[in-house]
Amino acid sequence: MSALLEVRDLVKRFPVKRGLFFERTVDYVEAVGGVSFDIAAGETLGLVGESGSGKSTTGYCVLQLMRPTSGSVRFEGRELTELSGEELRRVRRNAQIVFQDPYASLDPRMTVGNIVAEPLVVHDVGTRRDRRARVRELLDVVGFDPVYVNRYPHEFSGGQRQRIGIARALALSPRLIVCDEPVSALDVSIQAQIINLLKDLQAEFGLAYLFIAHDLAVVRSVSDRIAVMHHGRIVETGLAKDVYERPKDPYTKALLASVPVPDPARMQERKADRRKLQSAVAM
Amino acid sequence: MSAPLLEVRDLRTHFFTREGVVNAVDGVSLSVDRGRTLGVVGESGSGKSVTALSIIGLIPKPPARIVSGEVIFDGRDLTTLSERQLEDVRGERIAMIFQDPMTSLNPTLTIETQLVETIRRHTDVPRREARRRAIELLDEVGIPNPDARIKDYPHRLSGGMRQRVMIAIALSCEPDLLIADEPTTALDVTVQAQVLDLLDDLRREHDMAMIVITHDMGVIAEVADEVAVMYAGQIVEHASAAALFARPEHPYTEALLGALPQLEDHASRSGRLTAIPGRPPSLLDPPPGCRFAARCLYAGEPDGCAEHPPELRELRPGHLVRSEHPASERARPREGAPA
Amino acid sequence: MSSTPQEHGVGLAPLRHRKERRYPTPPDGVQTDAGAPIRASSLWRDAWYRYIRNRAAVIAGVAFLALVAYCLIWPIVSPYDPYAVDFSQASDGPSLAHPFGTDQFGRDLFTRTALGGRVSIGIGFAATFVILTIGVTYGAIAGFLGGFVDNGLMRVLDALYGLPYLPFAIIVLAIFGGGNFWTMVVALSIASWFTTARIVRGQIITLKENDYVRAAHAVGARWLRVLGRHLLPNTLGVLVIAVFLELPGVILGEAFLSFIGLGISPPDASWGSMAQDGYRAYRTAPHIIIVPSVAIAYLILCANFIADGLRDALDPRTRET
Repeated sequence: MSALLEVRDLVKRFPVKRGLFFERTVDYVEAVGGVSFDIAAGETLGLVGESGSGKSTTGYCVLQLMRPTSGSVRFEGRELTELSGEELRRVRRNAQIVFQDPYASLDPRMTVGNIVAEPLVVHDVGTRRDRRARVRELLDVVGFDPVYVNRYPHEFSGGQRQRIGIARALALSPRLIVCDEPVSALDVSIQAQIINLLKDLQAEFGLAYLFIAHDLAVVRSVSDRIAVMHHGRIVETGLAKDVYERPKDPYTKALLASVPVPDPARMQERKADRRKLQSAVAM
Repeated sequence: MSAPLLEVRDLRTHFFTREGVVNAVDGVSLSVDRGRTLGVVGESGSGKSVTALSIIGLIPKPPARIVSGEVIFDGRDLTTLSERQLEDVRGERIAMIFQDPMTSLNPTLTIETQLVETIRRHTDVPRREARRRAIELLDEVGIPNPDARIKDYPHRLSGGMRQRVMIAIALSCEPDLLIADEPTTALDVTVQAQVLDLLDDLRREHDMAMIVITHDMGVIAEVADEVAVMYAGQIVEHASAAALFARPEHPYTEALLGALPQLEDHASRSGRLTAIPGRPPSLLDPPPGCRFAARCLYAGEPDGCAEHPPELRELRPGHLVRSEHPASERARPREGAPA
Repeated sequence: MSSTPQEHGVGLAPLRHRKERRYPTPPDGVQTDAGAPIRASSLWRDAWYRYIRNRAAVIAGVAFLALVAYCLIWPIVSPYDPYAVDFSQASDGPSLAHPFGTDQFGRDLFTRTALGGRVSIGIGFAATFVILTIGVTYGAIAGFLGGFVDNGLMRVLDALYGLPYLPFAIIVLAIFGGGNFWTMVVALSIASWFTTARIVRGQIITLKENDYVRAAHAVGARWLRVLGRHLLPNTLGVLVIAVFLELPGVILGEAFLSFIGLGISPPDASWGSMAQDGYRAYRTAPHIIIVPSVAIAYLILCANFIADGLRDALDPRTRET
């Protein structure tokens, strides 16, 4: 049985332009240099890496929000890189995204209700009454009081806005959600709420997640499998437990050793380990 | 036992806005000894950054004002100093580094200019000497090829490098106290570790005192000797780092530690994180009693902690808590209460 | 309980209903995160408060509204016929009966100024509206499409930028004959929309980078919707400011064209044509030219202060987070 999402040799290069009157392309920056992975229905793949590793770009390319330079993205058996226009729009119903910045991912001039209803409006789903009912359901499911459906995003906190974003992503009952650093901009206590919410939604609706983040501990708490990215390539993949407890790649080891652990007793030990590993990878 | 280098007593900083008075810092007392690191941890809105800025007088004076309290640094109360006098203290005796090195370094000046300018502001040395010292500092903070890189502009350096430059600038006049406000939040994890190690080493070598402000408990575990946990403008727990992690007392501290996803937790994938329901209170209109009461699992009627604000009390030597329900008192039933 | 969309044939997998909340029930009195909004003000209200704080802008706003009211209402209630000629009262200076005096034909200037104001301000706003329409369309297409199209459009715009609008205005009027409200509007707007186009293009390019635009794409919105529903409404602030920045130029343009005889011609009044009337008599009856000139200056001053106030009020950087 084939996986829900199959990515093979995904490459994304950005042109570097120079020129006074008309810009010419002189060079390329390779943000993603050949990435491959699978995600099965209902599972979470954590894509972890530091800034500049290409993880967010990978996420956008999977959803065709950026067109990959080359490579294949098969979702539910269909090759997305070959789709465009109406066909692509139809596929979009089944693969959605939650963004990192709760302050920029919601149109400040739309009400909460309209933001969550937008996917329904765009795909012409149901009557206005149906949509209103559905929006209330969605908000309730993400723990946002539906009473505030006519307020504006700026009236709410980061955690509340992120819930709105999640409700929007759920509107068309997708099978895959790409979560691009969904909790990075939130306080620790709110992070935990949103992480719990995402896990609950996954259990309830059988969602698959491509969970992109730089925080290793957060990724660990939600992922079944992990892929570690470094300079546009995946350096290690495996079950979460294996990657965290028995990392094979030197970069993964150095990365794990660098994460500060809230346990002063173990700090000295980790510091010594870390110095050795970092010099091995020559950061 | 000498007096602490810095002592903050009952500091209150309020912001006077159109909507009302925001009690950003409401009665904060802490102290730092020479050669020690104090970690101030809290989430956004806890008042930790405003506390740091108040100490060195960098709060925006029109909306904000220190309404009461003292900041005793080496015998002098900084809140009583004029702007001019504060400028002398800043950089020379107390240095501060900020979260985003790109906005705190002037992008139109070379590293050399910024370093040399700082050195010559506080010490009376000729330019050549200042330059030599600047290169020395860059080397000390771990910048490779310092004599070449000193001519660079900030944008040519990576985030970690820029932060090192900031540290170099901060150290340039041998301050007694270094205040670091979220020094590693904008950095990658691997770089973060390096910068924290660097700060720790430097602190030891120069016998500086350090205040590290952060929201990240991991950072606290790495560098802090003592920790003050802030919530809604007040300190709710203050203890040594070891004691705080081993036996957290305040319900907020416990919840915060419980909400952290663990790197080394074996059951974490299936387990739930302890989420703290709700949100910090608005500081425009703080609740009358304990500020954490609305989200606390243990807030209860009998002691009315929702009405009467608890005081910061010393539970054990060196361990202060602002709560009626610290962990160690919850373990045993209260006298007279039904079993 | 609301009915599920499935019942309406919507064809979506229904969200299963749950009776209790997903989270561990909090103890009594604990607020869940699904709580009330933290800030109850609206974007416009914040902007309004900021605008109000700017004293010059408030005065200018009131003055502007007063002027518009005067131009609209006075000619209706005025006892004087603005076209009636009465040489017995010709060229009288300001007096109680005629607060602005009379012109060489004995017509009450107070009434004629109001009437002229209708025309001048009317042309001003109409031309500004046309400028905005062309500018927004051009700039939005360039900014939104980017790439070659943007490059091409901008290079064309660069070339056009160098052209002064006056010769174009004169040519248009020469071709279509001046004196008509709508030809004036066309003449004034035909070569004045370049700055607006550039501003709008810049705004659109900045806004395009926002996550909510990406979100709209992700959800499957077509480009027209993204442009119309997300990008353009968010440029509203910039556009409102642009209106008050373009207005003075257009008003002055109309005044000038009428003054040199190409625009509104007598007996119709516009401030420019009134100035032309008064120009010949300026040595003996200076008030005839002074009155419309002051009116023009007054309007321009108001518009500038209003634009300034609006820019400060709507500047997102000063918005409190």
